[in-house]
Amino acid sequence: MDPKEILKLEYTALNIRRNILRLIRAGESGHVGGALSSVEIVTALYFNLLNIDPGNPKWPQRDRFVLSAGHKCLVLYAALAERGFFDKSVLDTYGALDSRIPGHPNMHKLPGVETNTGALGHGLSIAGGMAIGLRLDRSPAKVYVLMGDGELAEGSNWEAASAAAMHKLDNLVVFVDRNRLQISGPTLEVMSYEPLDERWRSFGWRVRIIDGHDLELIISTVNETPFEKGKPSVIIADTIKSKGLSFAEGKVSYHYWKANPGEMEQAEHDLNNIEKQLKAKMERFGL
Amino acid sequence: MINELKDPRKIFGEAVIEASETNPNIVVLSADSSSGSGLGDFKKKFPDRHFEFGIMEQGVTGIACGLATTGKIPVFAAIAPFVTARNFEMFRNDLGYMNQNVKVVGRCAGLTYDQLGSTHHSIDDVAIIRTIPGVTIINPGDPVTIKKAVHAMIDHVGPCYMKIGSPKMPVLYEEEVDFNLGKGIVIKDGHDVTLIGTGTVLSKAVAAAKLLEDEGISVRLIDIHTIKPLDRELILSAARETGRIVTVEEHFTTGGLGSAVAEICSQECPVQMKMIGIGDYYASNGPYEELLGKYGLQPDLIKETVIKFIKNK
Repeated sequence: MDPKEILKLEYTALNIRRNILRLIRAGESGHVGGALSSVEIVTALYFNLLNIDPGNPKWPQRDRFVLSAGHKCLVLYAALAERGFFDKSVLDTYGALDSRIPGHPNMHKLPGVETNTGALGHGLSIAGGMAIGLRLDRSPAKVYVLMGDGELAEGSNWEAASAAAMHKLDNLVVFVDRNRLQISGPTLEVMSYEPLDERWRSFGWRVRIIDGHDLELIISTVNETPFEKGKPSVIIADTIKSKGLSFAEGKVSYHYWKANPGEMEQAEHDLNNIEKQLKAKMERFGL
Repeated sequence: MINELKDPRKIFGEAVIEASETNPNIVVLSADSSSGSGLGDFKKKFPDRHFEFGIMEQGVTGIACGLATTGKIPVFAAIAPFVTARNFEMFRNDLGYMNQNVKVVGRCAGLTYDQLGSTHHSIDDVAIIRTIPGVTIINPGDPVTIKKAVHAMIDHVGPCYMKIGSPKMPVLYEEEVDFNLGKGIVIKDGHDVTLIGTGTVLSKAVAAAKLLEDEGISVRLIDIHTIKPLDRELILSAARETGRIVTVEEHFTTGGLGSAVAEICSQECPVQMKMIGIGDYYASNGPYEELLGKYGLQPDLIKETVIKFIKNK
């Protein structure tokens, strides 16, 4: 990929992180850890991979994005606003009565939201149904799903995983945001589903493991899907929970962040530092 | 022909096939359940529109939601408790909250899986699905209205739950009967008491009404085939004009038709009510007709309950 394009996407990822902070500022708290760990995945999807039209969000031929881990909604709202599905001022209503952006997404309230998720273990089945429906219509559209690694303990996911393989849904691409933490602690200690790659493979999927913060790698990997014709694809994305916030990265206590003013100041400082690094990169490219 | 016995699952399956001839969006989803739901012929006739998933009712409910987002009309029929209780959260979130055009059909509902015991009885399905905003609940009481209900359900845009039994059931209506979702049918007018029946035991209420007439009691007999949305006006006028209501259902008296009627009457036109159904216990097992008798759902027992109810007032 053109390094300038990658740099542009890195800037977009930064803006999405800034939008997430804006949401937290409005709502005073939120599920920040898993939102920040999946910023690069969502950026790659909404700014490179998804065939979508913000002006026509219900366009039947669009690619679908199902946020199975609905508590990561901050990153979805941040990306949809950045992509122009709605005005960014909506982000300032997070936490308010009757806000269009609840703590778990509601498709009836906001354009661009495909599903009402929040209860875990629902998204993969829904996405499977979408993939079958699109195939019946001979549509070239693909269905993308973002799941958390803690979420994989819900048994319904494995019903859906079996069904997707049995019905040869090679228009279905799943990201597992493997940040290795859930509310109570490390996934390895709470309820391990490792080795994830072997587990998915044994269910009939084709698997890749990548660095989930490497935008270029995310895009090139998705562009190789289906990894095998007639098989659904899963990308296990190794990530860092709360990525971008120095004081919160990799810490289980920031699954849900109730921001105090000092932390908020530090968070802004951290994102400004990322911007400085990106500017230095730009200069190196002579932009 | 009136009183002719017909297989409800066969009638259901034939109606789905009939609707699918003209509506290409209908697809059928099976959780190892199509053949037992009268949909074996659908699979033969429309192999590309029939999807088998094996025994995974939670998964199939979500898959149905996803299919509906692409404009398909999924019909998902299986043993009633497994498409209402087991998958409740998927029903509520994926079909109800997302307002998807999916038709869930619980068959062998009520006590019709007589011998198989409480795991297979479905006497709470109306109670639990009734809590989901926007879901239409249909419980037709004879073969003619089962067929009409299938077409009405397909034509209605939105999530539906329909329940049917399994033993052969008598035809109660002429083919020309007017069937509209949300509108009850007054089978017979009367002024002493209103008897409201639904689903598999509607025929028992019909027979009980005749026995009561023989005793000189004037019965208004109503078929509530759509439990949600309930025909509010019809129920309130019956309450006002007869002053007494008895409900008859093969369901817990908690949360079912009786509760739904009481919710309206208690607030808008309080009247004496009696609910005939299953109390707060697990139903027993045994031959179907004997089980119905155990819970007071045979015509002579309904008659006795109504007479006692009227005398005690």
